[in-house]
Amino acid sequence: MSLKRINKELADLGRDPPSSCSAGPVGDDLYHWQASIMGPPDSPYAGGVFFLSIHFPTDYPFKPPKIAFTTKIYHPNINGNGNICLDILKDQWSPALTISKVLLSICSLLTDANPDDPLVPEIAHIYKLDRPKYEAIAKEWTKKYAV
Amino acid sequence: MSTDKISIHIKGSGSAKYDFEIDPTITVLELKELISEPASVTSDCQRLIYSGKVLKDTETIASYKVQSGHTIHLVKRNASAASASAPGTATASNTTGAATTNTSETNNNVPSNIAAGVGAFNPMADLTGARYAGFGAHLPQFDASMFNDADPDQITNMMSNPQFQQSLNAMLDNPQMLDYMINLNPQLRAMGPQVREYFQSPMARQLLTNPEAMRSMMSLQRALGGGAGGAGGASAFPAPGNTTASEDTTSSGAQANAGSAQANPFASLGSLFPPAGGFDFPSASPAAPADTRPPEERFETQLGQLNDMGFYDFDQNVAALRRTGGSVQGAIEYLLNNP
Repeated sequence: MSLKRINKELADLGRDPPSSCSAGPVGDDLYHWQASIMGPPDSPYAGGVFFLSIHFPTDYPFKPPKIAFTTKIYHPNINGNGNICLDILKDQWSPALTISKVLLSICSLLTDANPDDPLVPEIAHIYKLDRPKYEAIAKEWTKKYAV
Repeated sequence: MSTDKISIHIKGSGSAKYDFEIDPTITVLELKELISEPASVTSDCQRLIYSGKVLKDTETIASYKVQSGHTIHLVKRNASAASASAPGTATASNTTGAATTNTSETNNNVPSNIAAGVGAFNPMADLTGARYAGFGAHLPQFDASMFNDADPDQITNMMSNPQFQQSLNAMLDNPQMLDYMINLNPQLRAMGPQVREYFQSPMARQLLTNPEAMRSMMSLQRALGGGAGGAGGASAFPAPGNTTASEDTTSSGAQANAGSAQANPFASLGSLFPPAGGFDFPSASPAAPADTRPPEERFETQLGQLNDMGFYDFDQNVAALRRTGGSVQGAIEYLLNNP
């Protein structure tokens, strides 16, 4: 069941990928994928390419996939280990969601962070009080790690 | 087979989209050259991404199993991004560290990964590679400034740190590393294969990893005139076999001196350690000559940068900067890994 669904998603992604994301299996194991997200042009992450690892549970799509950044990124909702604080990856997961939709949600999280539910409070603090400074640091990190 | 062309779409940023009919046996670089004309981006400024992977120039399109009708993403890289390294950081370590670990396709001034960021420790990078990615994180402790202005107690503490011990043991276990260290030091090099054997013997290991032995060596060196440099350090090292770390400066000092007078091959062992000047750290802290200024003055710019990046704990910042010899890069890695 899970394998059939993953194969279908893979085929859809190949045919018609979202404009700023791409994903596919790392090797022969279809349960382990890698993905890349191009930094949205209207964000401090513009120009960077961010890589993520995706692990599907065997009961996918009834359980959410495990997604984490493997590229360092300065963002209030993404911590130093690359873990992402996103509701649809946790309690708001729905089997109707696909990797493509999740990646697009992560893209929009890059454009619009959610500082009220932060994973890294220090970054959220700067994001709220000194937005230019946050953008400068995020740009710096993007240049350093994602270009 | 080679005449079976496939059609692919190249999606650039925004709405830019280009369609190509290609032979899948061409290399990625050849595809980039095809793209460069309509997209007006030179091939070295292109990054192609398919299935979550960055396509490497030397591979063929077929090796990435690109299927007909599929889409490859194109990301433009700004050529000027190479000059983007953080202003005012210890750039010497950045450039050297990154240059050895980066592949030629990435920017040489900007660390491409965490290990390179820590890269205050360049000489090992090329011979250790990925296996030592984690290893690098501990090594900056070896920084010359650490040894120059640290008191023996500090060294003892450092030596008792299990992580440090682990690194040291890993270092001694690696024959490549030993060869490297031996090669660095002309005195050791001249001595030939016995030196290697000695380093691999349990006795040497005990001596090098024993905090007490190191401590007495340090205080000895101090007693003998501290910064006397290479010669002082070498002769201050206890003769082999004398692993009983004696605190008695005069007697063991005399013994060690006697040892060096007889051209004891192991006397120069001490020169492995920075105070003796044998271990060449090209990227060691710019503040290497014993810097007695208070940390807020010495690391003023670096502390400012750390503050800007959201690291507010003064004591932690200073501790991190000390470890990395003033490299902001390394300090950030340290702070992130040791919250």
